[in-house]
Amino acid sequence: MEEMMETVVPQEDFDRNEQRYLRELELDGHASVEAKFGYAYCLVRCAHKQDIAKGIELLEDLAEHHPEGRRDYLYYLALGEARMKNYSVALNYCKGFLEIEDNPQVRSLQEYIQKRYDKDLKKGMAVAGGAVLVLGGILGLGMALAKNKNRRDK
Amino acid sequence: MSDKTIKLLIIGESGVGKSSLIRRFVENKFDDNHDVTIGMDFKSKVVNIDGIEYKLALWDTAGAERFRSLTPSFYRKALGAVLVYDITNRESLTKLEAWLAELENYSDNPNIATIVVGNKIDQDRVVSREEGLKFARKHRALFLEATAKEDQYVANVFKEIVEKIVTSDDYNMAQAGNTIDVNADGVAAESNCKC
Repeated sequence: MEEMMETVVPQEDFDRNEQRYLRELELDGHASVEAKFGYAYCLVRCAHKQDIAKGIELLEDLAEHHPEGRRDYLYYLALGEARMKNYSVALNYCKGFLEIEDNPQVRSLQEYIQKRYDKDLKKGMAVAGGAVLVLGGILGLGMALAKNKNRRDK
Repeated sequence: MSDKTIKLLIIGESGVGKSSLIRRFVENKFDDNHDVTIGMDFKSKVVNIDGIEYKLALWDTAGAERFRSLTPSFYRKALGAVLVYDITNRESLTKLEAWLAELENYSDNPNIATIVVGNKIDQDRVVSREEGLKFARKHRALFLEATAKEDQYVANVFKEIVEKIVTSDDYNMAQAGNTIDVNADGVAAESNCKC
């Protein structure tokens, strides 16, 4: 699963799918379902979060307007959200999928995301303790600066 | 990836049993439902050939039309391809012709090892063994018939293609090349030489 999750789309595959999408947009004013899907499929496998987010947006739109391809969209929405580290949203997509169709591919994606999520929660708890200290420090500094400013303004 | 990793592609029409062959081989499970693979799936398994362990990276592709040619770059660096058809469906064999063309188009390895596999021999056959064999010979591929459902000859499929790969000159030259690279980088490599 690691491989599926971490593999970034090769640049030339991305370029080809992006060009096809943009060309259709330009020529017809809208892109076909398949061009949109190809582009979104590449976007959710990009390294940058802005790209992944754009892919998620396209997939949400497709899921709404093209129910025939729904299982594909749900799967890649789960993958994209997981790559954004929005694990609970990703898990909801997996759950939604599995309610319609029991599928081993989705089950193993779900297991993988759940593991990541649990790990993140544990790390989050450890970090949260530290964050309180840091936040306290920042607040203190801010207050000190504000005080200073007030004094200068006077 | 370690240099003992072997990337294999599993290709063929939708519904011929690509995922089922992998699932039987890796997890020893079989599911009667046909869960159409979404995009691509990945599984790995370590196999031992003549005392050497290789990690097989199995890339399971969707046979569905909409995924075709979306990301052909994933054909790269594959050392072998398993071309699957369904012996109860003649069209799935003739369509392998197009899959082979795709493989030739996108693979960066002109000597990629191939095996043609007729799956579902537990069911009533439409395509004779000879037809499959003829097709495989024509394309200089290995040939086997198997059933993922009844678990017959599934392990043989992977064993045969891996054996073909690791005994090929290409593979051994690449492996030798790796060893030289390590030494050239000045990394102290443990010598396996018994002299």
